[in-house]
Amino acid sequence: MATMNTRLPLTVIGGYLGAGKTTLLNRLLADPDGQRIAVLVNDFGEIDIDGRLLDSATDDVLRLANGCICCTMADNFAETLDTVRGFADRIDRVVVEVSGVGQPHKVAQWGHSPGFSPDGIVVLVDPLSIRDRATDRYVGETVLGQVARADLVVISRTDVASPTDLEATEAWLSGVTDATVLRAPVPAGVLLGPAPRAAVEKGPPSEQRPEPEHVTISRRLDGPVSRSSIDTWTRARPSGVVRAKGLIRVDDRPADRTVLQICGSSTTVAVDGPWDDGDDAVVAIALPGTPRAALVKWLNLLG
Amino acid sequence: MSDTTATGTPTGSASPTTIFPARVVHTLDPAHPTGSAVAVRDGRFLAVGDAADLATTYGGTIDDTLADKVLLPGFVEAHSHRDSGGIWQFTYVGYEARRGPNGRLWPGCTTFDAVVDRLREAERLLEDPDEPLLAWGLDPIFWPGDRLDRRHLDAVSTTRRIFVIHSNMHLATVNSALMEAEGITPDTAAEGVPKDGSGWPTGELQEFPAMALAGKAFRSFFGRQRSDESVRLLGNVGRNVGVTTLTDLGTSNLLDDAIVRQWTGLADETFPLRVAMFHGALMSAPDGDEACAADLVELTRKSTDRIRFGNVKLLLDGSIQGGTARLRWPGYHHGGPNGIWLIAPDQFAERLLPYHRAGLQVHTHANGDEAVDVLLDGLEQVQVAHPRPDHRHTVQHCQLTTPGQYRRMKALGMCANVFANHTWFWGDQHHDITVGPDRAARMNAARTALDLGVPLSIHSDSPVSPLGSLHVAWAAVNRLTPSGRVLGPDERITVAEALHAITMGAAWQLRMEDQIGSITPQKFADCAVLDADPFEVDPVELRDIPVWGTMSGGVLHQGSPRSA
Repeated sequence: MATMNTRLPLTVIGGYLGAGKTTLLNRLLADPDGQRIAVLVNDFGEIDIDGRLLDSATDDVLRLANGCICCTMADNFAETLDTVRGFADRIDRVVVEVSGVGQPHKVAQWGHSPGFSPDGIVVLVDPLSIRDRATDRYVGETVLGQVARADLVVISRTDVASPTDLEATEAWLSGVTDATVLRAPVPAGVLLGPAPRAAVEKGPPSEQRPEPEHVTISRRLDGPVSRSSIDTWTRARPSGVVRAKGLIRVDDRPADRTVLQICGSSTTVAVDGPWDDGDDAVVAIALPGTPRAALVKWLNLLG
Repeated sequence: MSDTTATGTPTGSASPTTIFPARVVHTLDPAHPTGSAVAVRDGRFLAVGDAADLATTYGGTIDDTLADKVLLPGFVEAHSHRDSGGIWQFTYVGYEARRGPNGRLWPGCTTFDAVVDRLREAERLLEDPDEPLLAWGLDPIFWPGDRLDRRHLDAVSTTRRIFVIHSNMHLATVNSALMEAEGITPDTAAEGVPKDGSGWPTGELQEFPAMALAGKAFRSFFGRQRSDESVRLLGNVGRNVGVTTLTDLGTSNLLDDAIVRQWTGLADETFPLRVAMFHGALMSAPDGDEACAADLVELTRKSTDRIRFGNVKLLLDGSIQGGTARLRWPGYHHGGPNGIWLIAPDQFAERLLPYHRAGLQVHTHANGDEAVDVLLDGLEQVQVAHPRPDHRHTVQHCQLTTPGQYRRMKALGMCANVFANHTWFWGDQHHDITVGPDRAARMNAARTALDLGVPLSIHSDSPVSPLGSLHVAWAAVNRLTPSGRVLGPDERITVAEALHAITMGAAWQLRMEDQIGSITPQKFADCAVLDADPFEVDPVELRDIPVWGTMSGGVLHQGSPRSA
């Protein structure tokens, strides 16, 4: 039986027109941090792939030499997911582009489909226009709804926005969303979290595969943890943590696999099928500058 | 039927001529408004007049089948979807009685017991124990405070999967056997899977991501809507209500060759319908709109006398009863948030442009008045940059369109297809809940559209409301609601105007006005065949006129016997 990759993590990426979704998706495909990502887009026209990277192409699917694939979404999204399931043994995760007026939190519900697991709602914002958009007669509610229900908000166009714009955008965002706010560029491994197959070392928490500047830390658990320690762990989370994922056993449901997941502001604890004898482990990624000692202490709360 | 060979001198080609005497023929062609017979040759009308005169002039065979019938031009439904037929592959459990494509009357299921009994009856007919039982039309709005759930369905079967989709097509209710087979348990974390006091899912699956958890049953429900059988059933549904041309408005992905072949292959000369196919470009333009437009232009070469390509459907907002249409100030009467955009307002002109420039016709869904503003602004921008005479781009639904907007539509050369059936099916809800009494009275303003000179059609949006042009006409003429209100009497139109809207009005906005829409020589010999004269019955009885069937391309298609 497979372990951490039995269900494909499904992350949705939304944001209004011009927020930078296309740029981000192209960057993920070009530099996927060693992960094999299936990117689902509305329109191939926006995808800009270096010809040398392209492995093969059909009407619906582009396959890249780095293992990533790109599919267009059919008019029936359930069918698109059926197509992606056909690639399940060749990919690590799925990223879904949400239309500029779509609500990412609604699309994220597809992450509960058989074979997938929801893995975060990322919303991009353009620091030069977001505050105007939010009061627009036609799209104000749409834009606010996108941001309010995000787990992670990424501020794009940091190369052209002034520090004042960026700070004002951050201040504004803190009033309209609980999401964790990051500035672009955000590496794939941070945005999407650790690769599901990332090797997890046994023993005490250890630093591994460090992202440039970001802090990645993991811990292998030796057996079931108590339900109460999960609650403590959730509440004690250090502020710099952007992503975390754990597959563990919990004392009151030792026969089941429990998934712990953090994406920005959101923490979920869900049962995902029977325990199948994999390694119990937790991996976390934190912002640059987060004290490593605090993260070690935090992961040690699970027990 | 008594055939007699008439004498006379044939005109033109040597193809046989058939003369159909009738009680009366209303041509809806002002140049020759009535007659008592039509002459048909090569599937087209040759002439209208008196049977004896026609026989003298053109010769041919007299077919008396329709001698006591009333002939009108075949009805044209300019807003319908292909699943109007396919949905009848499943068991109907709706609250209101409906007649199926084979003439069977399905009484409304007005109690949970009636739903269960109907499903039990259907379950007994299924032989393969693995085949899911699929049903449609459930509407919980009629049982306030009580909800059909998995336990009711478990009374039908504890082993067979049961999937009942609601009338709004956004929710479904399933039984415990299905939940077990598909792994829907207390651990299912998806939104849209409500749990009961015991922590178990109730069996209701809300919105598509949750409905898709029903796995095989979900796939089967939507997959079978595309079956060959669904096309055949669509033909029957149209024939039974006098419709000879309808639309598949954006339900099919016409870039898929298999779908194109299915339609053109199945719609041969024995098929009772012509279908104007609209490509759903909102979801199916994988290489962008420019490429999609080029493909659709190429596709027009595959049009036949029965299947027409070259049209595009876009959508701007949702529905008023669903709270998802985009409304101008003051928004929803119930105070709910404004609706959703399906295309960003900023992007509408950009998406419209490639299709407009390619010479294709674009029909855009806009229910709310704010969505119509965006549509008009977008089209104006496109027309200024790339003027195109006589484009006939059409606003679909127009439910809250204002007089000012109709004036702009006229100025921009647009057509209006008004959702007249809404007054009957949701009029009381609009009055009491969604937009309040004043705006409800102004909804679906067919009178205003006509007075301001906007080319008008009226529609059912079948299967959202049942296919039936006489019902649509009745709704526009009477504006009655189930509670007995006349909702907006000043927006009523006359019987003649309504009949024009469901024939020539619709034909015009499908760019088929030279081929269908009136009984006029050279046009396809398409008729609605009625047992009573709509110009003679009390207008309030318009929808009750029995339909014998249709003539399509000169071929008679008698409707299904209407069993009780």
